[in-house]
Amino acid sequence: MQMMEKRSAVHEWKSNGLPALVTVVPVGLWMVLFIAVPLIYVVVLSFCSIDQHYNVVFSFTLENYRRLLNINYVRIYGQSILIAFLSTALCLLAGYPFSWLIARTKSRWKNLLYMLVIIPFWTNSLIRIYGWRTFLGVNGPFNNALTALGLVSAPLDLLFHRSTTVLGMAYCLFPFMVLPLYTAIEKLDISLLEASNDLGAHAYQTFFEIVLPLTASGIFSGCIMVFIPTLGYFYVADILGGGNADVIGNLIERQFQSGNNWPLGAALSIILILITLLLVKLYQRAGGDMKNLGV
Amino acid sequence: MKRSSVITGALAAVCLLAGCSKKEAGQVSAKKGGNLNIFIWTEYVPDSVIQKFKDDTGINITVSTYSSNEDMLAKVKAENEGAYDVVQPSDYMIQQMISQGMLEKLDKTKLTNVSNIASAYMNPTYDPDNVYSVPYLGGLAAIGVNTAKVKTDITGYADLFKPELAGTEVVLDDFRAVIGMTARSMGYSMNETDPAVLARISDKLQTLKPNIKLYDSDSPKTALISGDCTVAYCWGAEIALAMQENPDIKVVFPKEGAYKFMDNWAVTKGAKNYDQAMAFINFMLDPEVMKMVLAEFPYMCPNQTAVAGMGDAYTSNTAKNPPADEVSKGEFVKNLDTDTLAVYDTMWTKLKS
Amino acid sequence: MRRKTKKMSQKVLSIVFCVCIYAFLFLPIVVIVINSFNATTSKPYLSWKGFSFMWYVKLLKNSVLLDSFANTMIIAACSTVVSTIIGTLGAVGMYKYTFRGKGIIDALLYIPVVIPEIVLGISMLTLFANIHIPRGMLTLILAHVTFCIPFVIFNIRARLAEYDLSIEEASMDLGANRSRTFFEITLPVLAPGIAGGALLAFTLSIDDVIISYFVNGQTKTYPLKVMESIKSGVSPDVNALSALILVGTILAVFVTQSNLFRNKGKKIPEVKKHEKK
Repeated sequence: MQMMEKRSAVHEWKSNGLPALVTVVPVGLWMVLFIAVPLIYVVVLSFCSIDQHYNVVFSFTLENYRRLLNINYVRIYGQSILIAFLSTALCLLAGYPFSWLIARTKSRWKNLLYMLVIIPFWTNSLIRIYGWRTFLGVNGPFNNALTALGLVSAPLDLLFHRSTTVLGMAYCLFPFMVLPLYTAIEKLDISLLEASNDLGAHAYQTFFEIVLPLTASGIFSGCIMVFIPTLGYFYVADILGGGNADVIGNLIERQFQSGNNWPLGAALSIILILITLLLVKLYQRAGGDMKNLGV
Repeated sequence: MKRSSVITGALAAVCLLAGCSKKEAGQVSAKKGGNLNIFIWTEYVPDSVIQKFKDDTGINITVSTYSSNEDMLAKVKAENEGAYDVVQPSDYMIQQMISQGMLEKLDKTKLTNVSNIASAYMNPTYDPDNVYSVPYLGGLAAIGVNTAKVKTDITGYADLFKPELAGTEVVLDDFRAVIGMTARSMGYSMNETDPAVLARISDKLQTLKPNIKLYDSDSPKTALISGDCTVAYCWGAEIALAMQENPDIKVVFPKEGAYKFMDNWAVTKGAKNYDQAMAFINFMLDPEVMKMVLAEFPYMCPNQTAVAGMGDAYTSNTAKNPPADEVSKGEFVKNLDTDTLAVYDTMWTKLKS
Repeated sequence: MRRKTKKMSQKVLSIVFCVCIYAFLFLPIVVIVINSFNATTSKPYLSWKGFSFMWYVKLLKNSVLLDSFANTMIIAACSTVVSTIIGTLGAVGMYKYTFRGKGIIDALLYIPVVIPEIVLGISMLTLFANIHIPRGMLTLILAHVTFCIPFVIFNIRARLAEYDLSIEEASMDLGANRSRTFFEITLPVLAPGIAGGALLAFTLSIDDVIISYFVNGQTKTYPLKVMESIKSGVSPDVNALSALILVGTILAVFVTQSNLFRNKGKKIPEVKKHEKK
């Protein structure tokens, strides 16, 4: 059947070039024009410099990359990866049991429970992050409640720390962990679990040796879909981190705004792309399937 | 699924129609007086003033905001020429923009209200004869202290580095402001270029890191009022506004002499709505309009007619109207060469890492 | 008996856990909605001064905010339509035909999905700046279409995975020409994938912050207007608008997804990846 399909597909192409062109040229042209060309330009830009008036000078230089290998920049890359790692871990630890419970529930409200995960994300993400900032403030509702209930003697200092940024990132990206996990867990054949139990395996054994490997695709794609965006979410770092928890996205944003240094910003973007590609390679090496991303 | 696709499609179409009809209405009214695009600092021109201008002239005005001079420069350069008509650069930025040929000459015949500006503020060194700009508001970047929560004695920039103030401060998200402040706390100029001196400033700057809780150039008063921060290094009027909300907050002018600034109206080269821009700037020079501005954003005001019309509540409030001796002690930011700026950028990145 | 209590306590624990997660998800929304009824008039609008509807009234007069919402709707509608058309054609074409350069286009499609948005944002900014396209509605729509197309295509591909090409051949054998086959056979079969992709594109466009931040020029979209408000202290009319939008979207979901409550245990409103059997 597959051989026949392939043969007829090639045959169709040869005899009907026009339909192929009509369907493929729009997307091809669009992607080349708006993705490939700008990215190539960004690569070129990363090897340029600026003059006294912040205009780009098109002469080859490695100065930007040399600057970006400075220990101070490397420290921020490290901080970004740490924040991304902690956010991903938080999402996974909270998201896995949650997805399990929702995916395997026999309740008649299952669809509603699923939608209730998605509904918050129809409110603008910025206003929700601001909601967290309001909530966690020194004189905000959380501290007021805690002091009123007598649980603390002085308001807790919760805002503008690295941990606040991790919370915000995890919050924003939670559905990207839950959705792939939900899909993977739903496909799990419960008879396998029953068989494992019948054969005398302990619950933990069943989990680590049966369930985890079978849902691995969900775990991997969830982790990647949370980890990578965290590196670029500058507004979460700004609003909740207050400037103390900058990620690579903040560095890039700064060079395209107050830094007035597009070539340096371009070089930072290339470094971010390289880190992303490395993570994607690791993902593929660990067995992740590219088809699981983005759906 | 088919029915819901139809309904979703219908919803989208309704949204599109609603949006388009609103845009049409906006465009029709624009034809009357024309358009104007202004690019201003956050928290600097009241909405009521913008509305008054719209009502008085019928000009359809679009307001965009920025948090620092460098942000403004970046956006103006990134856009096509004349995308923004009116901008509000500070002193050194006016000089920078003039040298890059980014500003239009002002038609003085249209600026009938310019006589309201005190002569002391006219003909500044950064724009001799006010060819390209007229002053708007200025002031000092002073220190705000919540005296109920902070028992440490603070008399100058140097005290901001005290270890007791760990995790209490909101500072401007502006590398020239913070690095300059550090320099002044050590007795140096805000515009140092000597690499050896810069290295020492960098070390001192690192000691400030544990004290900074928040970087905010837009509305530092928010953190002071909400109590998330108890010490602030920010624009004078922000401290004044915080003081109005919380009487425990006091203003401290640094004994080393503060970071001084004067913001100006200017028109970008190739501005598409030059006449409307002139009308707007003249409108903003009107003393009655300036009084509306000062009621909401009380900075140091060069418009002497307006100041004369303000009551004691403004003129004797040092946070709003800094005393002359503090102003004369202050220092302006100046333009620096690219290599020095690269060093500043590294210092700033190190602080934030 | 012990097993029963163990199961009971497990169940209670699960319910408590889920409730906590949901509470966590909805917490900031509750804060935002409550503050929309705050009778405060002084910046930064954080202290509670009493219950009032005044900010809902003020919202109606806030033309800048409402305009930004209108902009977002227009951009989202246009981007969805354009990206769905290009995406549907592209998905079908890439499924049926093999040609040189297919791998490149495939790789390019993964870039907006995998690479952080800020890289796309700045790269498109440099493109528009160099071609001297004035930044505004046009560049916003172009940018939004760009990041929506891959999501549309991936959604349709999931549907295509179990699409049997021989149906098309049968249709053409019976005398229908290519375009008739496409519109009357291919599209209806792919309709759930197309609808799912379009819905996803619309959702992504409405909430886009980072890419819009770089290519918007002076045009305010609703997320960017919120960002601007956050800098000065969010006035409760922004909260009011967010509350109204939330209510609106919940109603829209209930109207279009009536099978939500008729649970057969399997059907959910999002498109799921179907495995090739």
